[in-house]
Amino acid sequence: MQKVLTKKSLPQWVKKLLSYTIYTPVEEDDHWNFVATDNPEDINLDYPLTTLSPKKIIFPQREIFLEFCDSTEGNPEVKEVLPAEKSAVIFGVRPCDAKALTFTDKVFGGDFKDIYYWKRRNQTTLVGISCNTPPYTNCFCVSVNGSPYSKEGLDILLTDLGDKYFVETYTKKGEKLLNLAKGLFKSPTAKDKKDLEKIRIDSKKKIKRQIKNIKKIPPKLKEMFDSPFWDEESMSCLRCGICTYLCPTCHCFDINDEITSSSPIKGKRIRTWDTCQFPDFTMHSSGHNPRPDKASRLRQRILHKFLYFVDRYQNYQCTGCGRCISLCPVGIDLLEVLDKVRDYGS
Amino acid sequence: MVSLEDLKKEAKQILKENKVKYIIGYKKSTNGLMPVPAFIKEPEEVEKLVWDPTCVFNLTRYLVDEKRRKTKEKEPDERPVGLVVKGCDSRAINILLQEKFINREDVYLLGVSCENTGVLDEKKLTKKIKGEKVKKVEFDEKDNFIITTQEGKTKIPAKEILANRCLECKANFPVIYDVLLGEKAKRSIDNPFESIEKIESLSTEERWTFWKKQLDKCIRCYACRSVCPMCYCDECVADTISFAVTADTTAEEKAQKIKWVEKSPVSSENFIYHMVRAIHLAGRCIDCGECERACPLDIPLRFLNRKLEKEAKELFGFEAGFDPDQPSLISCFKDEDPEDFIR
Amino acid sequence: MAEEFEPKIVAFLCKWCSSAGSDLAGVSRMEYPYNVVPITVMCSGSISPLYILSAFSRGADGVLVSGCHPGDCHYIKGNFYARRRIALINKLLDFIGLEPQRFQMSWVSAAEGTKYTEIIKDFVKELKPLGPQTKLGRDL
Ligand code: SF4
Ligand code: SF4
Ligand code: SF4
Ligand code: SF4
Ligand code: FES
Repeated sequence: MQKVLTKKSLPQWVKKLLSYTIYTPVEEDDHWNFVATDNPEDINLDYPLTTLSPKKIIFPQREIFLEFCDSTEGNPEVKEVLPAEKSAVIFGVRPCDAKALTFTDKVFGGDFKDIYYWKRRNQTTLVGISCNTPPYTNCFCVSVNGSPYSKEGLDILLTDLGDKYFVETYTKKGEKLLNLAKGLFKSPTAKDKKDLEKIRIDSKKKIKRQIKNIKKIPPKLKEMFDSPFWDEESMSCLRCGICTYLCPTCHCFDINDEITSSSPIKGKRIRTWDTCQFPDFTMHSSGHNPRPDKASRLRQRILHKFLYFVDRYQNYQCTGCGRCISLCPVGIDLLEVLDKVRDYGS
Repeated sequence: MVSLEDLKKEAKQILKENKVKYIIGYKKSTNGLMPVPAFIKEPEEVEKLVWDPTCVFNLTRYLVDEKRRKTKEKEPDERPVGLVVKGCDSRAINILLQEKFINREDVYLLGVSCENTGVLDEKKLTKKIKGEKVKKVEFDEKDNFIITTQEGKTKIPAKEILANRCLECKANFPVIYDVLLGEKAKRSIDNPFESIEKIESLSTEERWTFWKKQLDKCIRCYACRSVCPMCYCDECVADTISFAVTADTTAEEKAQKIKWVEKSPVSSENFIYHMVRAIHLAGRCIDCGECERACPLDIPLRFLNRKLEKEAKELFGFEAGFDPDQPSLISCFKDEDPEDFIR
Repeated sequence: MAEEFEPKIVAFLCKWCSSAGSDLAGVSRMEYPYNVVPITVMCSGSISPLYILSAFSRGADGVLVSGCHPGDCHYIKGNFYARRRIALINKLLDFIGLEPQRFQMSWVSAAEGTKYTEIIKDFVKELKPLGPQTKLGRDL
């Protein structure tokens, strides 16, 4: 479905959606973040990239699986905990971040369907916003089969046409949101469509960063497992969690029993994000660590994204959002590393 | 201002003479405003080096990696590592020496003085120049920076773009070095603890609200810990594995490990992590501001460390990083230490 | 009628003086509030700030650290070290916004059973109006 919505009527539309939990980008201190709001006036679609992607809503950093209590000896009570039933709408999802969810869909939706993930995923409607100008200096979606107006993973895509939004819906979930405020949406004129076309062509041109010949990278990586290259490239890495925690496609987790009382034993089984960049991620209980240094951890990050994932799901596990580049505290540049990989030894 | 040519000359010299294994300095970033760490092994690579007020990072952090690497090598190269250090960075060296984490002969220090200025804050600078690429940064000796971009030159008062730590820096020149570039000139500051006094003046409840809001944002990416030259423990109390496991560690020992901090990034656990970190840095933090700079959620971590720095000074007359031979803050005491808080 | 709030106090007492002092209070049958969970440690100098934070995190409404008077420490200097460390943690707790009344330190000798009971009585009195400590309590 294609429609237009004047900017002035955006809050009126949102007003009709208040039975959903509404998320919008909000500026906090010096960065942007998705925050729940019940004020339709808060919706802000003119913002740079958020530090955390909407991954944090669909696959939260902390998920309670179950609660246990051993008050009657030998007969512990165990209670399953599921995400609350509450439909949500996320406004202002960038196309790269929405596409990232199509990757986590694959990971959590294989033979084993992760109920926690899917519950949140299915009850959330994603309203995207095209990037008419790249929101970040390090955007490179175009190089990884994406685009600043990609619809992958989105239910609705809005494109800023100045005083109105061009509105496209791609799913039933998306149409439903439009149907809740039918009168507000008009059919696009021929001029609207022409404007849209022009904006789209321009928006792609404005993306400055790129990887050339990306196809050469996976086969090259296959040969580079034992290369001293990784030692060199990882020299400045700090082994922090930024590049992976903030990456919209990274999905590694840890499960722990967290104890709230020791007599009787009471606690929760909790899933939290984890990352291959932490030294204890691969620590065996024998004390042996198969990825003992920064080099092997950087290699893991790059190989997972540009080799293993490609082998398995026929796509790079990267949508070009640029977060890992812009936010790395020591300026490790994924694109520079990939350029060097491609040209390595030639 | 320190001349980059002088720095390159020194660097080339020590590499040519094989005096150092390699040099850790700064080079241009491929994607951002601030230069990134450079590890220079060959005299020819010295051309990559840069030095100007955008060189924010504290490179002493890499001595921790160097030490880890060295312990694994069968026949380690015993030559020192060359390191470019600013005033604050050099104070970190003093702490590492004081704690015997490194020996003096492990490092060859290329000291660079900030000479009346300091380094810039990337976020403050970005706001001022609105996405332009910076070509050159100069200091006009009248408390202004002259920033050259492709749009031309802009003059910005220093206090608007200096890093927070530099606004409160008490010694903006190296206190330990092998060569010193630039003058030991000190910028005068009125009140080194101005920023935290604003928080101290709040009521207890207001302070709580402030910290709760800030620390609730923490995602425990541990960038603050990873970037800190003083956070060199092999295992941190905040890790799930809270002691170093070896092949000899028994199952019983593993079962009895204490989890001081749970992995859940909730208020209570975030507070413990940050308070423990603050306490562990008391008398050790030299205020290079790296934790705060690295934090992707803009949590004002410096305040926690500054608070204890201030108390150490006021209660015990202790200042960190000026004397590698003094005992550390909590491994010494004086008979007259205050005890008015004790009943 | 709602029951009056009874604060829980975790008291870290050094074995040689303060713990002995609390024992003396007990065997002398002095009366004092039952709100204290005593934890005996070898010396006030062995109390890590983590113990204090953990006590708050597991729900203590107040934490007391008590050792020998200066000069009396069984290990000569332990309480001098403790004095510095505790001063710092005290300032930090206050800085993050915990009510200052919730954390206390005292010197109690083996002979000071009465002083110990006084300290506990006062502590309980000061904690009551504050209500339960929830700021640092685990919210897992
Ligand atoms: S964000 Fe940068 S420093 Fe941190 S782990 Fe990733 S590459 Fe290393
Ligand atoms: S790898 Fe980096 S650029 Fe790619 S999606 Fe993840 S954070 Fe974004
Ligand atoms: S804190 Fe001081 S020494 Fe460090 S960069 Fe700033 S002015 Fe220079
Ligand atoms: S860098 Fe920031 S978000 Fe990461 S652990 Fe430290 S305070 Fe938390
Ligand atoms: S033994 Fe009592 S304080 Fe050291």
